[in-house]
Amino acid sequence: MTATMGDPAAGAGPVEPWDGEREPAQKPEEPSLSAGEWLGRNLFSSPVNSLLTVVFSLLVLLAVRGLLNFTFSEERTWRAVKTNMRFLFTHAYPQDQYARIWVCVGAIAVLSGLSVGLLARVGRGISMKKLSMNLMATGGVIALGIVLREPSAIVDDEGVALHRDVSAVAGGGSFAGWLDANAFTVLAVLVLANVALALWFHLQGTYLRGGPEPRTAHGALVLVSVGVLIVQQYATGEVVRESFADAMSDRAWWWLAAAVLVGGGAALWLGLGDARRRNTFVPAMYVFFVGSGLMVLSAWVYPWGHYGFLEGEFINEPGRTVAMTTKLPWTVMLVLLVATYELGRVLRAAGAGPKLRVPLNLLWVLTPFVLYWAVLRDPDLDWDHVLSTDLPMAVFFAAFGGVVVWFLAHPRIGEAGRVMAAVLVAVAALNWVAAYFGWYPMLQKARISFLLLAVVALLAHNFAGDRSQRLKLVAAWVATMAVFHWLVTLVNSPSTVDTPTDALIGGFGITLIVAVFTLLLAFPMGVLLALARTSKLPIFRVLSTAYIEVFRGVPLITVLFFFTLIFNLFLPDNMTLVDIAGATIGFALFSAAYLAENVRGGLQAVRRGQYEASDAVGFTTVQRTLFIVLPQALRVSIPPLVGQVIATFKETSLLAIVGIFDFLRIADKVISAQSEFLGVKREGLLFVSFIYWIFAYNMSKHSQRLEKRLGVGER
Amino acid sequence: MLVLLIVVALAAVACSVDQPAGMAAADAVDPTADGDLLRTVRERGRLVCGVSGTRVIFSETRPDGSVVGVDADYCRVVAAAVFGDAEAVEFVSLTTGERFTALHTGVIDVLIRSTTWTQSRDTELGLDFGPVIYYDGQQLMARAGDGFTPTSGVADIAGAVVCALAGTTTEQNVSDAADAAGIDITVTTFEDFDQITENFIQGACDVVTADGSALAGRKAKQQPDDQEWVIFPATPISKEPLAPVYPQNQSRFGDVVNWAVYATIIADEKGITQANVDAMAADPPDAETARLLGASDDEQQSNMGLAPDAFRQAISQVGNYGEILGRHLEPAGLTRAGSINASWRDGGLIYAPPAR
Repeated sequence: MTATMGDPAAGAGPVEPWDGEREPAQKPEEPSLSAGEWLGRNLFSSPVNSLLTVVFSLLVLLAVRGLLNFTFSEERTWRAVKTNMRFLFTHAYPQDQYARIWVCVGAIAVLSGLSVGLLARVGRGISMKKLSMNLMATGGVIALGIVLREPSAIVDDEGVALHRDVSAVAGGGSFAGWLDANAFTVLAVLVLANVALALWFHLQGTYLRGGPEPRTAHGALVLVSVGVLIVQQYATGEVVRESFADAMSDRAWWWLAAAVLVGGGAALWLGLGDARRRNTFVPAMYVFFVGSGLMVLSAWVYPWGHYGFLEGEFINEPGRTVAMTTKLPWTVMLVLLVATYELGRVLRAAGAGPKLRVPLNLLWVLTPFVLYWAVLRDPDLDWDHVLSTDLPMAVFFAAFGGVVVWFLAHPRIGEAGRVMAAVLVAVAALNWVAAYFGWYPMLQKARISFLLLAVVALLAHNFAGDRSQRLKLVAAWVATMAVFHWLVTLVNSPSTVDTPTDALIGGFGITLIVAVFTLLLAFPMGVLLALARTSKLPIFRVLSTAYIEVFRGVPLITVLFFFTLIFNLFLPDNMTLVDIAGATIGFALFSAAYLAENVRGGLQAVRRGQYEASDAVGFTTVQRTLFIVLPQALRVSIPPLVGQVIATFKETSLLAIVGIFDFLRIADKVISAQSEFLGVKREGLLFVSFIYWIFAYNMSKHSQRLEKRLGVGER
Repeated sequence: MLVLLIVVALAAVACSVDQPAGMAAADAVDPTADGDLLRTVRERGRLVCGVSGTRVIFSETRPDGSVVGVDADYCRVVAAAVFGDAEAVEFVSLTTGERFTALHTGVIDVLIRSTTWTQSRDTELGLDFGPVIYYDGQQLMARAGDGFTPTSGVADIAGAVVCALAGTTTEQNVSDAADAAGIDITVTTFEDFDQITENFIQGACDVVTADGSALAGRKAKQQPDDQEWVIFPATPISKEPLAPVYPQNQSRFGDVVNWAVYATIIADEKGITQANVDAMAADPPDAETARLLGASDDEQQSNMGLAPDAFRQAISQVGNYGEILGRHLEPAGLTRAGSINASWRDGGLIYAPPAR
């Protein structure tokens, strides 16, 4: 379709500066087009355009009608999805422990609110014009949905749909019946008539120049086409359906919503002049808050129904509002989000933004670990062991490492530093060799701590600086050790949460957990692989190329099968890789190969001059990579990186194939195998697709904002 | 600050490397490590039982994540025998493709997943089978409106479109049966039984074929008001004895599984039910009952490494064979009486060796 949304003035606006805080450059003032002119220029500018508009609108209408009729049909057992809602999102997670799940959601709400409030450049927000157009469009779609939707079937006392006399329909009793019998012919005739009309006007040379009549005639034909679609609803199938009047009046709530939206939008539109419409802005977050506020409010007011499964009994109360265990937490979440957003704004106004940026980002990186191990699993800590072993070990590594870092980051350490680092690397390597041969026992985390220390020691001279710089480094090391030892202690403690199955959590929870941990693992790996592949050292280059090509050459499902099923056969006798950890590792190794190629593309986009310039100021390779090359390379590769992130998120549905109860598998295989809902599958699949779409769409929107902010594609 | 980020990222990698090792500590299961699976299970404190989780009658997953069905109940029977607690089970839902690998790699202790006992599985795969829990068999289902009755035979489906699950033996079995009867049929396969049912309701399939228990479940739940489905032939076209599976050369653990199943069958023969098992144990009607329930000194459970009242716990917490089967078969419209799953005394095949 050649139709482009938005008026020409918006599209041709000047390039925005990347820092949205600054005032946007002045736009040339150009009055907006009237609705008629807009339509004429964009949708009906030529016979071909008009045809495309008409044909594609009809196709879209048909698709919308199909979706609506599918969703709201009496044959759908949506109760299967509603009853299994908890199951879909968290699988067998026990209900009495559910507060933990809400703590996780709440923590994410708080972090999101703070981040958006504190760090996001709010920019201008949404213009009144766009807002009112969106309001009216939403209302219009709801109204169209009511009209296009198949009317409800009439049921007898036992709730069984009444069937009409088939012969009466075949005999062509009513117009609607006749239309239903000849639906395809009628539609074909309508489309052909549209084509013919447009061609005729074109041959007459009157389409654009000859005044409004041709377009009015064409418009009338389009309306007739839509009318036919609507009338046909009332005779579909052999089931007796309610009358047009009943169908319209039964949906009073929806009409009200549509009227409020259209009315509100229209009031905004008419209340403000053209210039004010375009130049008045509301922050996007407030629009979001109002929207979600209305949804939460509807949970308290509107009888969505109360469904569930508690202690072997089904809860089935259609006329009620949703359960208190649903609406109360969501209300709290929204309040938390709004409150932390406002707090973030206040802090930002006080100038705390730059200071809090790094801690907040660090919190985001740490949150998944903390939430998973400290909240979701509720580790049953063995305090004797913690006090006698874990704590002293953490203190030792923090202190010892701190001293090492302090010395090695001294600007004049010279060769002595390299020797010390080399000794530490040797010690770390020896620990692993010793573990392999069983020479002397040592806890796994001690070995990892030594390895971390060796790596940091090797890198330390790159960050040499004055006293305060070295103090910062020591603080960073101590914090890292504290977090690391704390997390490993949590991991090694058994969970007190008791579930009937092997998985602590499943459903959408597992989808999120696997996706998040995959990305946390794959991202650093991908960057390192990309750096290795572009490195001057042949060994790194060859190894990294081999890795990337192997993982890109093998199907993901093979990698998953290997790590969930086969890998266990290669492990030592007393070790088993639980399937979720295996799947996460498989996903991470696979995504890392793809991310590496995306990052490599970004690396190649960094100009030679940047390398030469950093050499000229005497940067070491590490410094050059960290401070000059990577920041530029990563910015360029944002679009493909986000594409990979979305792909990874959706690929987690492959967990279903390796037998993990992920979101898709529950909807596809498990609900349809419950004896109450045997064979009920499409509802679940539609619901799952909808949730996936919400998340993937949000990620892509977020990346668009990021691109805009960083000015990708403009430099 | 960038250093900090990188170090945290490294720590993240390190954590995740450590994670499987950490989890392994809790989940270490290897039948060959210490040799004895029964000891491993006992030390772990719960039985890890492989089930389907998506098969009505045998094991279906309820909206709260719990697993119910005949297979699930037998997992509970074994757990009750080993630990005296029927809830000391961890269910692992497995697909047909991964069930044997899961057993080989030690992810599960025992597989009770409506698995047919065949010669190749018993020998080639290196697994051992326990006693048969349910005698199933492949049958056909068609619409009564097409002239089929419960007494129809394979010969009556000449020319029909028969729908079967892809990649299963049902497809082969029905073709063989048609060849044997000298008739021509068209076999169409689908990936998913829900698709088959839908095509059957809409008339694209004339006949569907699967194990009798699955067909009965579908008929009970999905038969539309304006159709009447019939299942035939009375003698199934294949034998599908469903039995528990455990790793090879694990005699002690195997004995526990076998005798847990036998105990429920003996209890069924003797009329020991969930309700009266405590009364029976207090006042045993005969010597065998006394031995089985651990009420006499010559009981055999101690020799197996179990508590003397192991089977009493199993029956009191889960039930006897008839109770277990009955509570899951009835909702699906199946009855035990008169079928091959009746007790040998009533003309069925369910028979257990004596407890002495």
